[in-house]
Amino acid sequence: MMRTVEVLMVIIILTGAFMASTYFAVLPWPRQVSPLDLGRLSLTTLETLNSGNALSEAAFDTGNATDWENLQVALSASLPPNVIYNLTVYNVNSAQGGSTLYTSQQSISNAANLGISSDAASYLVSSSNVTFNPTPQKIGETASGGGGITLYILNCSDSNGWWITGYNAQSLAGDLENLLSPYFARTVMVQTTAQLGTILNGTPLDGETLQNAVVINTCGEAVPIPTAFSGSPYSNNGYAGYCYLLGQKVNQYNWTWTSIVGWPFYYVTNTALFSNSQNSWGIYGMNMVGPPGLNAFLEGIDNQPYTSASSTTGSPGVVNLSNEAVTDCNYYGIYPSTYQTSTRALPTSILAQFHLTATTYVFNTVNGWNPGAVYRHTVTVNGKTQYQGGFYALGLARTPDIRLTALGLLCDYHPRIYSSDFNSYDTSRLAVLQLGLVGGT
Amino acid sequence: MVSIIIFLAAILLFIGLFTNTINTAIVYEQHQGTATRCSDLLDSMLLNPGSPSSWGQSDVAPSSFGVQDPEFTEYQLSAFSLMRLAASTGDLVEYDKTSNTLYTSVTNGAGAVLLTPNAQALNYSTALQLLGINGTYGFQLSLTPDVTVTVKQADSNPPLGFSVSATGAGFPFAGASISYCLIIVTLGQTQAQYPSYKILNGTALANQQGAASIVFPTVTQPNPIYAFIAYTHLDGIVGVGYTASAPTTDPTVVPIAQDMKTDSVALANSYDLNNSGSAGYPLKYNVTFVISTQDYQLSELSLGSASSPGLVGTVTSGVSNPVPTISLPASAPGILIVTYQQSATLGGVVMMPWGMSSLAFPVNFGGDPSRQSWVATDLRQVMIGDVAYQAKLSLWSTKPIGVTGL
Repeated sequence: MMRTVEVLMVIIILTGAFMASTYFAVLPWPRQVSPLDLGRLSLTTLETLNSGNALSEAAFDTGNATDWENLQVALSASLPPNVIYNLTVYNVNSAQGGSTLYTSQQSISNAANLGISSDAASYLVSSSNVTFNPTPQKIGETASGGGGITLYILNCSDSNGWWITGYNAQSLAGDLENLLSPYFARTVMVQTTAQLGTILNGTPLDGETLQNAVVINTCGEAVPIPTAFSGSPYSNNGYAGYCYLLGQKVNQYNWTWTSIVGWPFYYVTNTALFSNSQNSWGIYGMNMVGPPGLNAFLEGIDNQPYTSASSTTGSPGVVNLSNEAVTDCNYYGIYPSTYQTSTRALPTSILAQFHLTATTYVFNTVNGWNPGAVYRHTVTVNGKTQYQGGFYALGLARTPDIRLTALGLLCDYHPRIYSSDFNSYDTSRLAVLQLGLVGGT
Repeated sequence: MVSIIIFLAAILLFIGLFTNTINTAIVYEQHQGTATRCSDLLDSMLLNPGSPSSWGQSDVAPSSFGVQDPEFTEYQLSAFSLMRLAASTGDLVEYDKTSNTLYTSVTNGAGAVLLTPNAQALNYSTALQLLGINGTYGFQLSLTPDVTVTVKQADSNPPLGFSVSATGAGFPFAGASISYCLIIVTLGQTQAQYPSYKILNGTALANQQGAASIVFPTVTQPNPIYAFIAYTHLDGIVGVGYTASAPTTDPTVVPIAQDMKTDSVALANSYDLNNSGSAGYPLKYNVTFVISTQDYQLSELSLGSASSPGLVGTVTSGVSNPVPTISLPASAPGILIVTYQQSATLGGVVMMPWGMSSLAFPVNFGGDPSRQSWVATDLRQVMIGDVAYQAKLSLWSTKPIGVTGL
């Protein structure tokens, strides 16, 4: 009898435990089990409404009934029928002396309340007089293991330029820095030929990344030469040997060498080294290499044995920007003339001769001549084809337009322009969109 | 003895009761996990351009999956990445005159078709692997325009007129601005002439029901050959609708996006599709490419030399006859419009969106959620080009749901 009573007590205890656990262990509602992420839907709806700045305009024109009616129509049209909303715009105050930070300005809704569960997102909008600042992507920053590449601008004070009539190398260097430095992780001005010698020997000037850099020669048809490279074999064949070395270094460091105008490597320049020689046109501090310079450079980049062979260039006359370049003019906001005169275009035959690939045509090819293109040297390593060294040559007539230099490089690397998030003190308003679901739980 | 039996019976009863509650809770927990994963995956797809980021404009297989436009940082999707997704719906079409021979055909209303190379499409199983959910989840990604724009030719013809109706997901698009474009075709009357076209742009305003009537008093010929495109826009929400006259020829010209890498489009004679007709039927064509400007007017874009905004030629059925191909701009979404004629009185017009959003084509990519026992869904508002879409991800677990042994 006693055992039966005990069992009955156990039953009562277990029943009590079950009832208690059932009471406290409340299962979620079906909508909690599989919820619609109303917060994200709200945020993306605000972004969509502001894609044409309509939300911003309405937020700063709260008295304009038409704007707000249109906003409500757009909001209602874009949300699913079972979603109810409340959109409120707040003015952002400068919180001083305990004053309210946000003040409600205008509100629209399609329901008296938003049910038992809702979610909201806020979006800061700015008035139309806020400055818009695009943010360029740094070239190479997404490359594997790379935090961006370096731009070297040859701004050597002990060198002269040729075919840069109306400018000097230093003024061009400054303009190029202004145009291109936003797109590069580091921009380094190479101030002397000695500094050029330093980087040619593989030593960075200021801790920058040497490998994969872009080197722009602002001296036109002349190329600065460090005094350390004045002897043999660099002085061979009127310093074509030095041009050969440059080609080898471009290959070794995977540089992209940029010639802004004319026949590349036609002269070498160092005002101390060539203080008593001139380029045959009366410009001292310069020595004429002539046509072998370009050929030697290309032999160097292709790791071919050095020869004293000459190069050729063509004169196709008026040439037009390629479609790709015209498109990128709009993208980067650089607008040189779409047609130029080319008198030093490189032959297309160099592609096969030196294992080059034209990765970007800045100008349309004319009868076998490339007025302006970015070439990449193609190599095969372990069965994989890749680029090792690059050369951007603009074979145009003087005077140079450095916008074309910038455009070609940007066309080739194609860094993105990110739209900035715009914030401005005292000109921002906060739009809060709260969403709920109609129907049962 | 009795007490032991009662005790055991009570234990068994309570085990059953608790098991039911616990089982339900565990299933709920699993469903909630699926829902959370659904939201995460949707953001992962929409806020990531994939790798390489330009995979939508090439023929390479991506190493990670995402459809965000690489030029943007928010919910702006690439119209070209979406073109490379193997459509859940759509027929396979065989065309043996190009290096790719199988194409997925997607249509969305009268007068427009999109055929993309099946070999270059990213299929569902690959996407599952790239997302890291192969064997655990299945999904369907649907992109539907926020605004449905229906265009119908008015009965009172001539003059040519159209009724335009714009409806949002939950509300008529009342008071929306409508920018429209009529491409009216004139057939060549001599052997040397090709079909020509004239573009008429205009604007109108939708009424409170989101509808508008548009009449072209100058187009009075009976049975005109035309294509009509309407953009409705209000406060950042843009919808696109279109229609075209039914072709009066058989065969017709069908544009085919034959290679996503080179952006080339082949103009096929419909008799060559699925080898459905005889050889030797020529059609003269005239091609133009239009893009939408900031004020939603359509503007022609040169495909050839500066002096020729359109390209003309002849496409003849038969394997031995050449395939005309044209190259489209690599990164400019627009609409390819092909007018064609068989004779001085028989012709037609067909459109092809270059980028999914140009003609507000919907996208359905992935498996079939209707056959699943439990499907979690989530929504986002996204932009593709200028067009507002609703992105919906349906996600389900491919593993059995429940608690084994209970």
